[in-house]
Parts: sequence; C-alpha cells; structure tokens
Amino acid sequence: MASLIACPHCGPRPKEEFTVKGDAAIARPAADAGEDAWYAYVYLRDNPRGRHKEYWHHTSGCRRWLVVERDTVTHVVYAVLDASAQGETA
Amino acid sequence: MVDFALFHRSALAGAKTGSFGAASTGSRIALTALSEGHVLHVLAAHGSGALRGLVAQIGDGGPYAVRAYGPGQWFVVGDAALSAADLSGKAALLASRASIADQSHGRVRIGIGGASVEAVLAKGTAVDLDQANFAIGHSAMTLIGHISALITRTGVESFELMVLRGFAESLWDDLVQMSLEFGVEAKTAD
Repeated sequence: MASLIACPHCGPRPKEEFTVKGDAAIARPAADAGEDAWYAYVYLRDNPRGRHKEYWHHTSGCRRWLVVERDTVTHVVYAVLDASAQGETA
Repeated sequence: MVDFALFHRSALAGAKTGSFGAASTGSRIALTALSEGHVLHVLAAHGSGALRGLVAQIGDGGPYAVRAYGPGQWFVVGDAALSAADLSGKAALLASRASIADQSHGRVRIGIGGASVEAVLAKGTAVDLDQANFAIGHSAMTLIGHISALITRTGVESFELMVLRGFAESLWDDLVQMSLEFGVEAKTAD
C-alpha cells in the first residue's frame, strides 16, 4: 500500500495517520430502492486490481475525509482530494 | 454551575523531572510543562468564508495564540484560565460564524526546545520540521509515535506540543526517552 499520502490540507503524511474506509465510487441508492439494491450498497464490494478510488480519513491530522485515487498493483497515488470537493462524493 | 468546587490537578504533576541522558553535549533538550490556562477549539460554520482574522480576535494577543488545526478549525490557546463569562464573550465575538468548544480541561501543552529539538521530534513524526517548510508560528496536527499531537514552532529551536490530557504523561516519557542521546532537562511547572 502507498506509504505516503499527500493530504491536500497537510501535505505528505505517512499512511499510519489515515483510516481507510473503502470504495468511493459506489452510489447510495434511493430510500425505496428495494432490498437488493441496499444489500449491494451495504455489503457487496469489488476487490479491484488496478486503479480505483477510496475514501481515506485523515484521522491523526486534519480529520477531513479524502478521496484517494490509487493503483492497487503499482501503489501509485494519482490524486488526493477533499471528499467535499465538487463531484467527488458519489 | 457545579455544586462543589472542582479541584484542579495539573496533568503532568506526577511526571518525572530532572536531568536524564547524556551529560553535556552542548545541545541539551529542555522539556517544560506549560500553564494549563485555556484551550479553545474553534470550528467554522459551513460556508462562513475566511475567518482567520476573526478567530485572532478571541485570542489573548500572544504571538502563537491561534493555531491552525485543519480546514475551518483552530485551537486558541493562552496561559490565563477563562471564566464562563469570558467564554460567552468570546463566542459573541464570533457572531455565529464559528463555534467554540472549550478544551481547556482536555488538552495540555508541553514546551520542548534545544539545538537538537528537530532531531528529537523527527524520531516521532514524519512531518518535515525544517524551518524552510515549518516556519515559526506554523502548526501541524500529526502523530508522535502513536500519540496524536499538535506541533507548533515557537522559535528557531523551540516547539510547543499540544496533546490530549490523558496522553500527556505518556508523551512526556516518550520525549524524555527520545532526548536521551542529547541529554534532557525535564521541568514541570510550579
């Protein structure tokens, strides 16, 4: 796993300062979307090989939620943005 | 209001004091427990714009009274204890653009200084403490070992650490340990 995450607020920090929540690309279904949609939203996750987006919380720093786009194979970090930035939250 | 007087006991009252480590390296570390006056956590309201100037108004005017924590969050610290009236006066100054959470009882400050202070702190944190990147007055929330702390540079060779009260003595012991190779003078207040 990438060991340095460039927090947009704090600068480069070691991964130990962060908590990873998981996939940032899934969309919350409508309240009446039905059991299958909610089951998938709550429980079903892919285990992607390659580039994907994740929520990271800077727990021991600025305490902001971030969206980290990284590659699970090469460990390259492509982008780190605040989760409240336009278009970042699903 | 409380029904009985609370007895304030300093968080570092029982911490170890004295000289430890190398005798005279010329770059000894001075570790000091600082006054537990006030620590106010200021949180900006959503969409309240730039507040840095406004937040400075609730400080005591000291050069490092306002310490940036994260986006829209600051700690305002000072040596004087504040009454409930002082606090509501400060809250009124912020005019609903930000809120105050009194953390005076929750966080304590530790001063650390000496020629080798950057080398000592670098053992615990990954933040680049070189003065070119970490100027006097700059603050950073980070981990020192496994303990979360706000580091503030107060001089070329001096820093202040702010840590949750319950972790203060543990961090103090860690700092003494980290300073042994240079020698350290540990002094609690009073």
